[in-house]
Amino acid sequence: MSDGNPDVMDTLAGLPDGSAIAELRRQRPDVVRHLQGSDDAIFAPAHHGGFTRPEREAAALRVATLLRDGALEEHYQRRLVALGETNPLTGAHGESILAHIDCVTMTPDSARQADLDRLSAAGLTPHAIVSLSQLIAYVNFQSRVLAGLRMLRDAS
Amino acid sequence: MTRKMRDFTRGELQWIPWITPVDLDAATAEQLTALKVTPSNRSVGAYSLVLAHDPEALSQRSPLYNGIMFGSKGLPRADRELGAVAASRINGCAYCASVHAKRFTELSKAPEVMQRIQQDGVEAALDPRRKAIVDYSAKLTRDPAAITAADAAPLRAHGLSDLEILDLTHAVAMFAWANRLMQTLGAPAEPAPEGNPL
Repeated sequence: MSDGNPDVMDTLAGLPDGSAIAELRRQRPDVVRHLQGSDDAIFAPAHHGGFTRPEREAAALRVATLLRDGALEEHYQRRLVALGETNPLTGAHGESILAHIDCVTMTPDSARQADLDRLSAAGLTPHAIVSLSQLIAYVNFQSRVLAGLRMLRDAS
Repeated sequence: MTRKMRDFTRGELQWIPWITPVDLDAATAEQLTALKVTPSNRSVGAYSLVLAHDPEALSQRSPLYNGIMFGSKGLPRADRELGAVAASRINGCAYCASVHAKRFTELSKAPEVMQRIQQDGVEAALDPRRKAIVDYSAKLTRDPAAITAADAAPLRAHGLSDLEILDLTHAVAMFAWANRLMQTLGAPAEPAPEGNPL
């Protein structure tokens, strides 16, 4: 786990080390620690369960694009390129993942059993399905925390 | 959105998983740790057992949730629940909205707030401070990209400190996460009807 300072959220929100909003975040040390811990667990797990690192970065990029979060898109684009990949989500496997990302991000109350059956049929294990679900939900969380941090930064 | 909230707060959550949950008897040490299962505590629901397929993510998410919803000082816990209810209604999670509406009322002793939200949704007429909290929560849930510095002004005008605004942001964001897991890995099922349903 990274104990870096600034961490991923500081960097994405443009909060230099020691700035007012970076310090404000440190009044919630458990949140800072486990938010970064979640990022590490979701993108660089010890066991990826069949949902690979490049697929994870590409999936997160798709969520960021749907949410129109430019800084977040750049972040995941850069990490994807750093892995030497451009588009790992292709074929029936990739298409099923992309369709699920759109559903969970934009209309989570429309999901049905058939959506998970489709992922299973495309070869995703239960571990990969849960990891994909956590990732989509996490980036949705991340974008909203970022929006609040940018708001506080710009309003100070 | 004028979705009618149902009362899911009586009895245990009946949540029907759409993938096979981890079998507790076959769980790995890492899964048991993430689930906080001990020989004396083996009461784990289907929802947690589904999430245990990825124990690394689960073991971070649980303390993150607790830090956000129960962390000391800062925004009163009732107001975090108010943000959670607004997010859950917009995300269509009737189960989450019902549970957190009940927690809000227990903490705030202001039952009229959830009665109004149940009737009129996030557009309900509320006292100005709670209205500012619900408006921000709704906007952040619907379209985070639309949030600007100006959205902090109504919250500050009603006395919220920057730490309180950060706490509210974390709570609303946490339900962007929770509502998605709850509704896309399975479905909350309505408990069996009881004598006096709301």
